[in-house]
Amino acid sequence: MTTGESAITPQTGGFVPKLNLGMFFGVRTVSILATVLFCVGIDFFSGPQFMSRYAAGLIFLCGTYVALSVSLNLINGITGQFSIGHFAFFQIGAYTAAGCSKAFYATMHLPTLEWLVLMAIAGSITAAIAGFVVGLPSLRLRGDYLAIVTLGFGEIIRIATENITYLGGSKGIDITPHYQSIALIMLLAVGCIALSRNLLKTAFGLGFLAVREDEVAAVAMGVNVTRIKVLAFIIGSAFAGAAGALYAHKYGFIIPDQFKMDGSFIVLTMVILGGTGSVTGSILAAIILTLLPELLRDLHNVSFGGLIATALMVLVATFGIKRVIDTHFDLLKMKWLSALGVLAACVIGEIIIKMLLDLFPHVRTHAPIDGAQLRMVIYAATLVIVMLLRPQGMFAHHEFSWTWVKKVLHSKTAVKS
Amino acid sequence: MMLGATHLTMPFLASLDFATLPQQIINGLLSGSIYALIALGYTMVYGILKLINFAHGEVFMLGAYTALFVSYFFGFEPNSPYHATSVWYLVVMILASMTVSGLAGVIIEKVAYRPLRNQARIASLITAIGMSTLLQFGGQLFLPNSPPPNIDQRINPFSQQIKFNLVPHDSSLLAQLNVLKVTKSQADSAWKTRQKLETDTFSPSPEGVRIRSAAQEADRHFQDLSSRYQTSGVTVQMALGRIVTIIITIILMIGLTYLVLFTRQGRAMRAVSHDFDSASLMGVNVNSVVTFTFIIGSVLAGAAAMMDATLYQPGLQINTFFGLLPGVKAFVAAVLGGIGNIPGAVVGGLLMGVLESLVGWCGYTGWQDAAAFVVLIVVLLVRPAGILGSNEVEKV
Repeated sequence: MTTGESAITPQTGGFVPKLNLGMFFGVRTVSILATVLFCVGIDFFSGPQFMSRYAAGLIFLCGTYVALSVSLNLINGITGQFSIGHFAFFQIGAYTAAGCSKAFYATMHLPTLEWLVLMAIAGSITAAIAGFVVGLPSLRLRGDYLAIVTLGFGEIIRIATENITYLGGSKGIDITPHYQSIALIMLLAVGCIALSRNLLKTAFGLGFLAVREDEVAAVAMGVNVTRIKVLAFIIGSAFAGAAGALYAHKYGFIIPDQFKMDGSFIVLTMVILGGTGSVTGSILAAIILTLLPELLRDLHNVSFGGLIATALMVLVATFGIKRVIDTHFDLLKMKWLSALGVLAACVIGEIIIKMLLDLFPHVRTHAPIDGAQLRMVIYAATLVIVMLLRPQGMFAHHEFSWTWVKKVLHSKTAVKS
Repeated sequence: MMLGATHLTMPFLASLDFATLPQQIINGLLSGSIYALIALGYTMVYGILKLINFAHGEVFMLGAYTALFVSYFFGFEPNSPYHATSVWYLVVMILASMTVSGLAGVIIEKVAYRPLRNQARIASLITAIGMSTLLQFGGQLFLPNSPPPNIDQRINPFSQQIKFNLVPHDSSLLAQLNVLKVTKSQADSAWKTRQKLETDTFSPSPEGVRIRSAAQEADRHFQDLSSRYQTSGVTVQMALGRIVTIIITIILMIGLTYLVLFTRQGRAMRAVSHDFDSASLMGVNVNSVVTFTFIIGSVLAGAAAMMDATLYQPGLQINTFFGLLPGVKAFVAAVLGGIGNIPGAVVGGLLMGVLESLVGWCGYTGWQDAAAFVVLIVVLLVRPAGILGSNEVEKV
């Protein structure tokens, strides 16, 4: 424990007495180089000689969702503008790439990677324009009403693409350079993260937080609320658009049905689950929520009785643990012990129920339940249960940091001793 | 510039068939009444809890499945032999749907919303989305969904079509039509008798060609005149089941109005909707009011589901995503009328229905869903509180 604590340098105040320019630029150059190296490295190690195409696709998908959730976090969490139609920008980026590739790729003779960069830029520009259009109502509307407008905008975009025959209509469209660039999507995700993080270190970026906390007070303090709201929408949607362009080229085929509003809800869920305003929370939630349904793909078939027993026990465990946490909120030791006790009781109860069900085989239905069908059920149930147990999200408003870990560990040891 | 505009608009106007307009408006009002019933659930819950209940569409879906199971219970299973039907079957179906939907609404509220009531509202929104997904995919495990079942059309005793003549047809055209009918049948029979004499009916002799073209000409005149006759009057046609639907909807809405305006529980609801905390300080049992609201909203959704799948669109296929689209549209309707406002939901629902069918009437069937959202955005920008909603003054 002591070695772990000594490794963490305590953070002092932001005041730096002497600016060492060499150090200043050196650190930045090295970090940028490290970022690029990281992205290229991931791209290299996800090649066919190291992992399967499926696993590489999952890494790409994680990168896409990290970019989406972090960019939505900028709008939703940091600026506090409740937008639930983020897939609209993603779709605009994807369809920009599709349309431009259809029109120009055959005649331009550009290398694939450069074309992808070009398409990502094009997608981000069109999505940013759309973000500007959606951002304008946010000046008049607040809270749920803004949410509804963004939701409606997403649906309008989807239905419009269904009716444009040049873009394939509802039959979908093929995209010619069919290429999966993990380096680019990682670069995009890291760029989005870096922008969100660095924004909050500047005086201008604190204006975003001020708008979230109290709009009227922010105006009184001289923050240009109009500019900040619209800017948040523009930046957030530009990243989503670039991600959409890369996503379209990865799959080589897109169809408007992919961009239904449940996609927007999934991105929103990542932001809320990670904790609104927490960049690290959004990243972690994006990775978990992308991988969870994929990991659940290989579920074995289960019996009806076992499923019912499990569902009951999960319900009891959820409410038991919730109750324990609510009642013993000041006694940390009691809290964890009781929660563990409830869990143990649930496991034992489940075993007993399963044994009882084995005694009466006719209780089960004839056909076992297909594991593949259970995937989304477990996903949804996890969502509800995590929200019930920790409504403020995994990291709440905080960022993940080693000082935070140290504080948590310290408080735990303090109670124990 | 002007020339271009007229060039664009004139064929568009000419392509519209104004004789079918009343029919389209009536159709829109009918589908709007279903939206209105679902929208009431959204709007009441929003009025009380300020929560968008995304799982409401799934309550609607459960109502439809209940109606399906009750119809199975009465023997209207797929490929079952003929049964006589009765109105009482429908009464049992609608009551069962309302009961199950009401129960589902209360359970969803207890499990997913009540534990989070003191937390940020966004947490409840996420659990609402989670419950919605859970019911959609969890329902697939237990409910029959592939191939999608439908409620047997034979259980619907109100299947005959009813016609209303708004503008009577041109009687002089009818007389001409009768004359032409005789000419046409004569020319037809002449061609038929001639056909037997011809060796090759596809390339007949000159005499045969003359008789055939005379028959074709007579047929063309007849078709032309009969279409002119059809468009000279304005008829509205609808199934009796749709009239029954709108009657039941009106009864339910009168009941709801009575409940909200003239009963003790309704007064409590209005009080809680006005100010949640003050109402609880004044001795209103907020929990029971919330439960009651969820019951009322879900019961209306259940009734709407049963009527939609049985009377309004008989033979509609049911799956676990059945509630998704009507739910979203009803939600838009609730916002359109002013969310949290009960008459607003009805107005919004009817408006949505009419708007949709008018967009379809103009020939843009692919854009029907988008039109609803476009109007929604325009309304929200011009009047953020919705059509009937009250503009609240922002307190600092």
